[in-house]
Amino acid sequence: MKLSINKSRSLWWAISSAIILAGIISMVISWQNPTIKAPLRPSLDFVGGTRLQFERDCTKPGNCDQPIDINIVREVAKAQGLGDSSIQIVADKGTGAENGILIRTKNLDREQRINLQNALSEKVGTFDEQKNQLDTVGPTLGRELFTSGVIALIVSFAGIIVYLSFRFQFDYAVFAIVALFHDVLITAGIFSILGLVLGTEVDSLFIVALLTITGFSVNDTVVIYDRIRETLKINPNRPIADIVDDAVNQTLARSINTTLTTMLSLFAIFLFGGETLKNFALALIIGFTAGAYSSIFIASTLLTLWRERNGQTSVVVSAESIDPSAGN
Amino acid sequence: MQRQRSLLILILVLIIAAITVIATIPIPLGLDLRGGSQLTIQVKPSAEIPQITERELEGVKKVVEGRINGLGVSEPVIQTVGTDKILVQLPGVNDPEQAERVLGGTAQLEFRTQKPNTETQLFAFQSSRAELKAKQEEFRKSKDKAGIVKNQEDLQKSNQAIAELFGSTNPPLVGKYLKDASGQPTQQSNNWNVAIRFDQKGGELFAELTKNLAGTGRSIGVFLDNELISAPNVPIEFAATGIAGGSAIITGRFTAQQANDLGVQLRGGALPVPVEIAEIRTVGATLGKDSITSSIYAGIGGLTLVLIFMVIYYRLPGLIADVALLIYALLTWATFALLGVTLTLPGIAGFILSIGMAVDANVLIFERTREELQAGKSLYRSVESGFYRAFSSILDGNVTTIIACAALFWLGAGLVKGFALTLALGVAVSMFTAITCSRTLMFLAITIPALKKPELFCPNLPTSNKAEVAP
Repeated sequence: MKLSINKSRSLWWAISSAIILAGIISMVISWQNPTIKAPLRPSLDFVGGTRLQFERDCTKPGNCDQPIDINIVREVAKAQGLGDSSIQIVADKGTGAENGILIRTKNLDREQRINLQNALSEKVGTFDEQKNQLDTVGPTLGRELFTSGVIALIVSFAGIIVYLSFRFQFDYAVFAIVALFHDVLITAGIFSILGLVLGTEVDSLFIVALLTITGFSVNDTVVIYDRIRETLKINPNRPIADIVDDAVNQTLARSINTTLTTMLSLFAIFLFGGETLKNFALALIIGFTAGAYSSIFIASTLLTLWRERNGQTSVVVSAESIDPSAGN
Repeated sequence: MQRQRSLLILILVLIIAAITVIATIPIPLGLDLRGGSQLTIQVKPSAEIPQITERELEGVKKVVEGRINGLGVSEPVIQTVGTDKILVQLPGVNDPEQAERVLGGTAQLEFRTQKPNTETQLFAFQSSRAELKAKQEEFRKSKDKAGIVKNQEDLQKSNQAIAELFGSTNPPLVGKYLKDASGQPTQQSNNWNVAIRFDQKGGELFAELTKNLAGTGRSIGVFLDNELISAPNVPIEFAATGIAGGSAIITGRFTAQQANDLGVQLRGGALPVPVEIAEIRTVGATLGKDSITSSIYAGIGGLTLVLIFMVIYYRLPGLIADVALLIYALLTWATFALLGVTLTLPGIAGFILSIGMAVDANVLIFERTREELQAGKSLYRSVESGFYRAFSSILDGNVTTIIACAALFWLGAGLVKGFALTLALGVAVSMFTAITCSRTLMFLAITIPALKKPELFCPNLPTSNKAEVAP
């Protein structure tokens, strides 16, 4: 079986564009949404605020007999002047019993927090101190985190361009970065949709995930480029479309196997790993899939198009005249 | 052959060394895995100090350290982050309420006068406090939590008792009058001094204070957050005028370290910069345990599947790759231990991902070997060119990943850094194991006649090929 990727390249581009477009539309909708006000639903990490999680101590007799009534919790919060907080009842992972309360609100100081906790435990039962969780992030800190993440992303892009231009050629580097943007955009777009539909939030780990995707996606692209470079060296007169098609096919088994083995670990984390890592693993699963796809179908086809248009070296009058689909 | 053998010995030595390292040096767990709280303190510029410099931050850190140590928490971590932040980690502290209470607000530095006829008492209190402090150090080392808390109460009482022996001047000579303080070497001996300098008003107050104390045998009490940090005496020659001019030197048998510490403490205490808690994160201890165990199981599960897949798909080379991967895991873990990497949840993720990279290197090599076999080359030649040809893509791929990691490490903070570090280390080690370990083991395998069968390397080879290769 041989895959002639250059034959139907407009199809591959259409698929990618459609997914990216859906993501961008979702980002615009999110931006307009008064409760989100950002392209992706940001977590506490980026906007600041306080998140409190309490869990009832069920070892005490009678403490957990009544289920927690979310309206009572709302009333308590309102009485403390925190009426606009988001409040959720959370179920225990092990038992499924709904004994936890999650409150996200504006920045609370120590006293406000203690007041809230005391008022709540009066109404719903004693909390297990061991399981309390508190996160407070100042608004400036969140912004700094975001900026440093974006700067890290840009710096790594620049570093990759320099390295690839040095090892390959400048146009290779540019298309590798195009593929990277593709992967990052798809991942961000899907998370934007998830944020709209399921309320999935992006936290600082999401930025880590994007950066990891960057590293891996370039890796995939480089493997194919490496093949193109090798074949070009041996046979510089072949039409570029043929060379690229061959390179993709020769590395296809590797691309599939590597993606598959990485996915095995990621799915394991996604399904059975700790709560904190679930979304992280999901972002990587999406990003790596997009990365494998983009290196095969996007970076290589774009490189082909570019080289066909511009002529690769002095030899290439023929490349213009040859139909890309003719190569076999 | 000779080279092969020495590489094999090198690998064996490394494995043994790695196992020893893993057995002797435990990898410390990050706060997210062991439970505890993390507070980020933002140092705010004020009218007097419009710009926070490293020197000032160092001073504030000292103050924070003093306050945290006063809490009696075992193994607190206090470090400066960036230009204006201090990170405080309190493992095992579930409710950082106490820490919040002591951390907010500006440091209180004050120079006080010792009350008359308290010299013997002060001496006794100070030596008992020194004993308590030494004991505290021991408790910290043995991680005896109950001991630390109990001892801390005694220390608090002792500090209180000492504080009662001193009285404030009128008006109090507080930190805002202190302009500078720093350790400096003396000319005569190896000892160090601490030079202090007051502003004009402070100089006047200090002259008054020293005039009263000179030659009496009573001390100046230098208090930081109500704890006596230094009790110098004033020599008799200053009895007439006091130490005038606003500058003074605290002598004593200070080492360079001690003198600098005291200087930094004084500077920090004098800073009129308010500190504000910008971020608090707590992870309950049980919650930490939940995620570590499930993440580790997930990691091991995923890895096992990968190992099985490799054997089924790549046969003999797959088996060899599995051995190389296990060696890889050992070496990477040992590297973490040696470099003192603190393991966090993203750190574990980075490690698991780097295993993915290590697998990729092997996959690249074996795919290449297969291609060469299918092209009709002999087994030995195929294996050799498999490694040779795959090298450039492994190198380029890994270098780009390391570039991304470097950007993350330098620009990211906290968890992001941990992730970048483990991934980069993992990738670096994987270059070594994929190329050296897999290669050596592979060449070892094809010297064994029973294993020298192309079909163990690649299924469905054309028959002509087999005949050609079989000896």
